[in-house]
Amino acid sequence: MAGRKLSTGQAINEALQIAMQSDPDVIVLGEDVAGGGRRDGEDVDEMGGVLGTTKGLVKAFGPERVRDTPISEMALIGAAVGAAATGLRPVAELMFIDFLGVCLDPLLNQAAKLRYMFGGKARVPLTVRTVTGAGMQAAAQHSQSLYWMTAGIPGLKTVIPSNPADAKGLLLAAIRDDDPVIFCEPKGILNLVDEVPEGDYEVPLGRAKIVRAGSDLSLVGMGATVRIALAAAEQLAKQGVEAEVLDLRSLAPLDEEAILATLEKTGHLVVIDESTPRCSIASDVAALCVDRGFDFLNAPVKRVTAPHAPVPFSHPLEQAYMPSVPRVLEAVRELGIG
Amino acid sequence: MAANPVRMPKLGLTMEEGRVVHWPHAPGARVEKGALLVVIETEKAEAEIEATTAGFLRRIYVPEGETVPCGALLAALTDAADEAFDADAFAAQHGAGVATGEGAGAPGGSAPARAGSASSRAGGGAKPRGAAVPGAPAAPAARALARELGIDVAEVPGTGPGGRVTRQDVEAFAAARSEASLAAGAERVVVAPGVALECLRAGSGDPVLLLPGFGVDVSAFAPQAADLAERHAVIGLAPRGVGGSSAPALPRYDVAQAAADALAALDALGVSAPVHVVGASLGAAVALELALAQPKRVRSLSLLTPFARPTPRLAAFADAWARVAAEASADTLARALAPWLFSDALLADDERRERTLRGLAPMLARTPAPALARTTAGLRAWPGVTARTLASLRLPVLVLVAEDDLVAPGGDAIAQAVPGATLVRVAGAGHAVAAEAPEAVTAALRAHFARA
Repeated sequence: MAGRKLSTGQAINEALQIAMQSDPDVIVLGEDVAGGGRRDGEDVDEMGGVLGTTKGLVKAFGPERVRDTPISEMALIGAAVGAAATGLRPVAELMFIDFLGVCLDPLLNQAAKLRYMFGGKARVPLTVRTVTGAGMQAAAQHSQSLYWMTAGIPGLKTVIPSNPADAKGLLLAAIRDDDPVIFCEPKGILNLVDEVPEGDYEVPLGRAKIVRAGSDLSLVGMGATVRIALAAAEQLAKQGVEAEVLDLRSLAPLDEEAILATLEKTGHLVVIDESTPRCSIASDVAALCVDRGFDFLNAPVKRVTAPHAPVPFSHPLEQAYMPSVPRVLEAVRELGIG
Repeated sequence: MAANPVRMPKLGLTMEEGRVVHWPHAPGARVEKGALLVVIETEKAEAEIEATTAGFLRRIYVPEGETVPCGALLAALTDAADEAFDADAFAAQHGAGVATGEGAGAPGGSAPARAGSASSRAGGGAKPRGAAVPGAPAAPAARALARELGIDVAEVPGTGPGGRVTRQDVEAFAAARSEASLAAGAERVVVAPGVALECLRAGSGDPVLLLPGFGVDVSAFAPQAADLAERHAVIGLAPRGVGGSSAPALPRYDVAQAAADALAALDALGVSAPVHVVGASLGAAVALELALAQPKRVRSLSLLTPFARPTPRLAAFADAWARVAAEASADTLARALAPWLFSDALLADDERRERTLRGLAPMLARTPAPALARTTAGLRAWPGVTARTLASLRLPVLVLVAEDDLVAPGGDAIAQAVPGATLVRVAGAGHAVAAEAPEAVTAALRAHFARA
């Protein structure tokens, strides 16, 4: 490993390169994923996506396999679903998950249902990459975390890495999975730089990971909130409270056993979720704890989420909107520890 | 026939104590309902207290001139002049009383109160510790642990937000209660993670392990222990659930587990030499399992009023014991058990019977009902020992049976099945033979140890 570091965006790029090299059926499509490059044989420096994540792919694999689409999520996702159902392994980019509404039907009623309704005779090995979350002042229509919606649709898988290494491994696993997978890229971690192993490896779908062991309290995070949980854990350690941090990594399937195991160990659980609170992953985790982990609960389950409101554009308001270390520490205080 | 307590009344919200001024009746006299029973004095005035029921003034506990708190026991009235009445036991049962808003109202009249949960009677009437707030919320983890330990979560003071009772609060409560309920001179021996047994040791010499029966502690062997300690290192072990021992885990306390506990206790005490193992009743079943599991650690086996397997009657007896313990006082439990445990001879002798019951009740109180229930479940689940298994024992075995034993009458068969076993019959004694015929039991044990 030798400590080679990449940003999350770069790690995702590397995963796409590896996937496309190892399987000729893997194609990439989306709005500006190539971005004006390699047209008519010219060696034009391409944009590689609005955040540069797919830079270099069209040069390496050509315009047949790396396709710019019109600005129509319905068209591009619909085409991706059809391509997947007829033998390709497409990686479609839904630029921001906020645009889910425009292409919900092909995901909800086609991609999620075809395998089931055709009695297993159809496969939809589709991956949808999509940026989630707030923190870049992209305002209400470009900052949402709607993964709770896709996680609630049977037939879709939803994953969300918290760091570059997991982003690479989860994306490779998602592309190679034969079911439709929504791969979330939280804005909060896109510029995070950390060690990424070289070569081809996968992080299994449906498995959470303990990223910090502790015995007094469980902090459950996903995507950008894992770092908040770790920072809160450091603060708590100074007060003698040892927090265990669980990185969910997969929202559907949800690693229920891991959640119950950490609850059983500590008796106290706080779940930190960037999204709005109603029908959220945070609420799902809390319900699981109360339903199947009732006798482990030494205190209520606390959910630290965004408020039930659109994401503000104003920087200080946006910062107040997002889950933060002080809000986590406050929730922990309400539990009666720390 | 019943005895009714007369208590110092609380004649106003601010009254805390009162002085007895005058008893107009002599002890033994009959008092009519409505007649003057006692004159008391408060800060404010003298008050004449009337008897709310008729009865015979059998005992005056607080003489004229003495001041006691509201609710304190002043006297006892019995329905009949000559019914059996133990003044000391009555006083112990009704105690000092605690003045509550309603409870210490009119004196006399009411029947002795039914005891609350068995756990609050452990260790001679220990009151709930700390400041448990009625109706305080309790975390699910706290409730689950309390259930496991047979504790009433309402008795546990809570330190969580809003007075919530946490799992840690229950742990602390259980630990404190175990400490408090440890018998005088006893220690706690760890036999498993988080599990300790109350252990009494005396004397020095070759080790002797005493395993008491269902629902009783080592004091059941008190006469034997004292005698044997002259020449042996006597180790008395209370099983899980009894006295200061940890509670048995849910759902049941298996006989094999009790045997494993005993072996672990020997390990923890550093006893590696072969041990004279003595078990009474259920303790004999444990002793058998121990000897079958680890024969090399047993120097001799003494089985007092043993049974080879749980008969329906035995199982029903244990079940009834657990139920009565859950719902009635220790005195009532002792009375309910008496016909099963003792011989006709003892039961016919009033003085001896009452004295025995007086001694039995506090010992019974040391095992909370949930522990009895789990031990009963373990007893029911015990597969027992077959004649063939008994025949495989290559140890000096003493089987001591009591001729008046209604609980486990088939002990002779055990002696017949074990090669070379010694059978001793004790006449005129019931199932609780060590208590009824202490000298005969001691002599039999001494002789057996000498042979081994």
